[in-house]
Amino acid sequence: MTIATSTELICFLVLSTVIVLGSLGVVLLENIVYSAFMLGGVFMAVAGLYLLLNASFVAAAQVLVYVGAVNVLIIFAIMLVNKREELKPIKGLRLRRIVSGAVCIGLLVLLVRVAIITPWPLPGPIAIGEEATARIGEHLFTDYLLPFELASVLLLMAMIGAIVLARRDVYDSELLAGDDMKEGLIEQTPTPLLVDKSSP
Amino acid sequence: MKSGLSMFSLPGYDAFLGFLLIAAAVPILALVTNKLISPRSREGERELTYESGMEPIGGAWIQFNIRYYMFALVFVIFDVETVFLYPWAVAFNRLGLLAFIEALIFIAILVVALAYAWRKGALEWS
Repeated sequence: MTIATSTELICFLVLSTVIVLGSLGVVLLENIVYSAFMLGGVFMAVAGLYLLLNASFVAAAQVLVYVGAVNVLIIFAIMLVNKREELKPIKGLRLRRIVSGAVCIGLLVLLVRVAIITPWPLPGPIAIGEEATARIGEHLFTDYLLPFELASVLLLMAMIGAIVLARRDVYDSELLAGDDMKEGLIEQTPTPLLVDKSSP
Repeated sequence: MKSGLSMFSLPGYDAFLGFLLIAAAVPILALVTNKLISPRSREGERELTYESGMEPIGGAWIQFNIRYYMFALVFVIFDVETVFLYPWAVAFNRLGLLAFIEALIFIAILVVALAYAWRKGALEWS
């Protein structure tokens, strides 16, 4: 075993340990904010795993989109609903835990079985390294052109949908519980911002 | 590297690993030094979140304004756009005029999204 392969093995073991422990932390921690930051760590470790598989562009996209965007959205969503409330204990918690645990173990058995019986082609195709990003660009603009352009339409739809939902939210919350909400705000503006000026 | 698990062929990542280790050491060292050499007293100003900043009012567990979420959403849209445009920029020389027009169409559709957000006041603060 050369130095390169042993370094790679060590990196792989460290990354997979971080992923497994981090995911357990995401599920098991009581504080939802800790869970969200744990999720960010898991995403970073998955990016490291992509890097180990010679997929530098996928790793960069993982960091940009998942850590930079999705995780920020999750944390902002937590900040939005972060009101201290007295939660009622659910009935039959033990039964629920047993059932969900059984489902999860069943899924794990299924995945392990798939991983064992799949005839993996070893060694895989030769890695092309830095060339990969240019290759992705070529595919994106020739045979995957339609999905590429559809992605922009999807992003447009997501943006419009988000704005419509958020506008309604601001309108409702400031209309119904204006005083209650203002206590939590950083700055206090009297008029709702995102309400259309033309609508009554 | 003829035998082994798999072949790692990206060059320059040994420096990346070094940077990663140094970056991971910085917060650990900062916290450990703080613990070692800071005075032990926990009175008065020491109890504040920001010793030399504004005095915090109320708890940190509050509901934040939904406007922060709007900015995050707009950011996500253009973040994903950047990820899609990067391979085009890398392969720009090989792709030619047609790909340039295709990328312009892609950007134009997202400019519509930006114009919509602007028109609806999602980019304004107050």
